[in-house]
Amino acid sequence: MYSCEQASKLSSQAMEEPLGRLQRIQLSLHLMLCRHCKNFSRQIEFLRRTSRKLPEAIEKDLD
Amino acid sequence: MGADGGLANSLEAHRKYLLRYALFQLRDASLAEDAVQDTLVAALAQGEGFQGRSQLRTWLTSILKHKVIDLVRKRGRGLPMDAVQLGEEDDSPDGSFNAGGRWIDPPADWGLPDAALESTQFWRVYQKCCQRMPERHALVFSMREVMDMSTEEICKKLEISTSNLHVILYRARLRLRSCMTKHWFGADHE
Repeated sequence: MYSCEQASKLSSQAMEEPLGRLQRIQLSLHLMLCRHCKNFSRQIEFLRRTSRKLPEAIEKDLD
Repeated sequence: MGADGGLANSLEAHRKYLLRYALFQLRDASLAEDAVQDTLVAALAQGEGFQGRSQLRTWLTSILKHKVIDLVRKRGRGLPMDAVQLGEEDDSPDGSFNAGGRWIDPPADWGLPDAALESTQFWRVYQKCCQRMPERHALVFSMREVMDMSTEEICKKLEISTSNLHVILYRARLRLRSCMTKHWFGADHE
């Protein structure tokens, strides 16, 4: 079983490249059981969506 | 005023936007000013190729991105880009976990965060939090998340390994997430 530290690291890495099969299974198991890591994983995905909208936000703020 | 005057006018219209964009990354008004100036000069020098461009801002921004990346790299010259050499060992980055790998301050629910994207204040907090990262971590984060560059492109441009890139992005995300919790999602704001 992964620790929260390992799980959060892999959640981050999974945003860059597909994980191996075993890692993927172990990570989803951890996320199923740990709401803190589930929150973390959702939040860093939200922060990516947010970051990609920064140029738009800068533009809006100019008006 | 000939055709060149018209071009200069339309470039001026984009200057303000470019300045904000540069400032986000460079954190220094006069450096940002220089980067934008260089970008506009480069654009004017390519004036002919520019005439048919409908997405002027996108094109200008892509020139600016490279100027910004080069400036941050130059400013950090001599410093190792490598995360481990920066004295940040792989284990327990910035004190988020205890020795057993458990969260010290476990991430709480943010509810439905997308509503925040409409708030000008939210974006100010976001930019402040990004600027609290070490500058070169912020650059890597921004290249990946704001500029949407591929991991291959970033590694090549900054001469870092893929595993280094992963470590830097992970650190940046931990830090940004915790700062956004402290100053927005877990804080009182209008």
